[in-house]
Amino acid sequence: MTRHRNSKVLTLAGHEYRSAARSGVLFLLTLSMVIVATGSITIASYDFKSQVADYAAYLAQAKAAGTTVTAAPLFFPLQLLRGVIEYVQIIGAVIAIGLGYLSVARERSGNTLPLILTRPVRGRELFFGRLLGATALITTVLVVTAAISVIVIGIVGGRWLNGSELIRLSIAFGVAVIYMLLFYALGTWLTARSKNVANGLVVALVIWLSVVLIIPQIGDTMDPDNQVPGGLFAALQVQKPDEKKVLAHFATYETIRNTLEETSLTKHYERLTFAVTGIKDKYNGKPLGSIAYAKRADIESILFYMALLSGLMWLGLRRQNMTRKDTG
Amino acid sequence: MITTAVIARQHLRLLSRSQTFLLMLVVLLGMTALSGFIGWSSHATILRVYDETVKTLTAAGKPVPPNPFAYKPRLSLLNNMIIYVPLIGALLAIVIGNMSITGDRQAGVTRVIFSRPVQRSSYFWGKIAGSAVAGAVIMFACLLLSVIGLTLINRSLPTASELARLTAFYMVSGLYLLLFVLIGIVAALLTRSQSLGLFAAVAVWALITFATPQFTSGLRPVASLNPVTDPVSASHSGFFRATSRAKPLAVNEQYKALSTRLLSQGNDVIRAGFGKTASQLAPILFFVLLLGGWANRLIKRRDFSEETARD
Repeated sequence: MTRHRNSKVLTLAGHEYRSAARSGVLFLLTLSMVIVATGSITIASYDFKSQVADYAAYLAQAKAAGTTVTAAPLFFPLQLLRGVIEYVQIIGAVIAIGLGYLSVARERSGNTLPLILTRPVRGRELFFGRLLGATALITTVLVVTAAISVIVIGIVGGRWLNGSELIRLSIAFGVAVIYMLLFYALGTWLTARSKNVANGLVVALVIWLSVVLIIPQIGDTMDPDNQVPGGLFAALQVQKPDEKKVLAHFATYETIRNTLEETSLTKHYERLTFAVTGIKDKYNGKPLGSIAYAKRADIESILFYMALLSGLMWLGLRRQNMTRKDTG
Repeated sequence: MITTAVIARQHLRLLSRSQTFLLMLVVLLGMTALSGFIGWSSHATILRVYDETVKTLTAAGKPVPPNPFAYKPRLSLLNNMIIYVPLIGALLAIVIGNMSITGDRQAGVTRVIFSRPVQRSSYFWGKIAGSAVAGAVIMFACLLLSVIGLTLINRSLPTASELARLTAFYMVSGLYLLLFVLIGIVAALLTRSQSLGLFAAVAVWALITFATPQFTSGLRPVASLNPVTDPVSASHSGFFRATSRAKPLAVNEQYKALSTRLLSQGNDVIRAGFGKTASQLAPILFFVLLLGGWANRLIKRRDFSEETARD
């Protein structure tokens, strides 16, 4: 019985995957992510090379002048992934919302849902079938992106990743799959509960804008030090101890800013992946166990959003199955 | 001409009947209000931070540097709009463009229309006119809200020059959004399935909004979301010197640069910097014309009798 149920879930997942593959969406999404990842790593590599060249010039001048020199910039290949992670953070979320929207829109315009429901398929199987299909789609896109990233880091960056770095990269992309699935669930839920599918997409995009841009921006743009290129305190030539004294007067403002930032799923994804890959210097080279402990709040938040959005997606699909709306 | 007007009206009716127009209006007005609020809040905070810094430095007997925000133009409170328009505005414009073609195909409207003596170019101009009217209404509402917001925050009405610059900003934004409506239309016409058309347009949006600025200016994707950006140190390297040559063609960068000039610089932007303004506007206009011509050609050559849009 369980095997039979599993086979139905797999059939539905296969339908989801094949629809995206046949329409060319899977190829297009993979190609887009590969292009931006390749471009981003190449640019980051050249950026680092120019820093090294600048350092070499500075070293020659410092030696000639007989002054003490600062340390050379260190190369950590996983740090080249910063742009790729940010692309997943922004574009990956839009792609996932689009996939969720299409999953519902396809059934509405093709009237396939009433047909599926004439068969002995339960709501639970539909839910898991869709989720599994989306997981397979998103994983395909991200696995290809990760593989290309490794190759570009090796060729353009000039260093191939070792075993430990590959594990960290896999974890970062694993978190990215979960992150995108959460936006897929959001897109599915909102589209399924909208009479007009396009309106569901628009509302999902507005939520995306809030989560990816507005809330983190309240953290970044409303940070006084982000109001001037190079930083306000640097522009005012204020030293760190004085900066701390000044900011002590804005403790409430900072608390509100940080609390708002805490509600953003994107910020939790960013903090966790930046720590795992060592993009955040503080965590560079630290064992994964200690990173997981330090970032437990981010992991818990992601788990909370997982529970919340899968619950909402479940409710949205159940409502759609019951009402079987045909409006497009 | 009459046919064009009928098609434009039908397009507008479709948008309003599905409540998509209302939703987009609400979203863009919400963005405008939020932009003003964030601008006001961060500006007020930074002035207080400066005052505290002055107190701390004076108490320590250190010299006090001048306030870097003393002469900040009043319109710069709306700086966040420069980020919101290319992000959510452009995505919504793509949805309008995509819907204008696939909606008709799915409902079988195109087959009915072209069974009558309707010229293909009338259909194209009708769709463009409908989208342009919808966009103009939304931009005008945003302009009105901006004026109200600025009046409340600054406790005085915007000057004639500020009003002119604000109007110019929303006109440039409208033109920029028209570009994405056309991207949505072209992508929908090039593909047989609605989903592929939508994703192809979103891929182009991602390339224009994030990948091009990274290529030409070394701006990381998240850095593109902040209206205040650090100058990229590596732009002095040979690689970035070479890639920055493509900057005049990067529509997103030109839109942001022109909008920043309109909102954040002095009163003489339009008159004194006309050459610069024209050069920043040129790539947007060029791509609008190019895509418009392409969309018109695709509509003329397409066989609309064959099928409805698939997913």
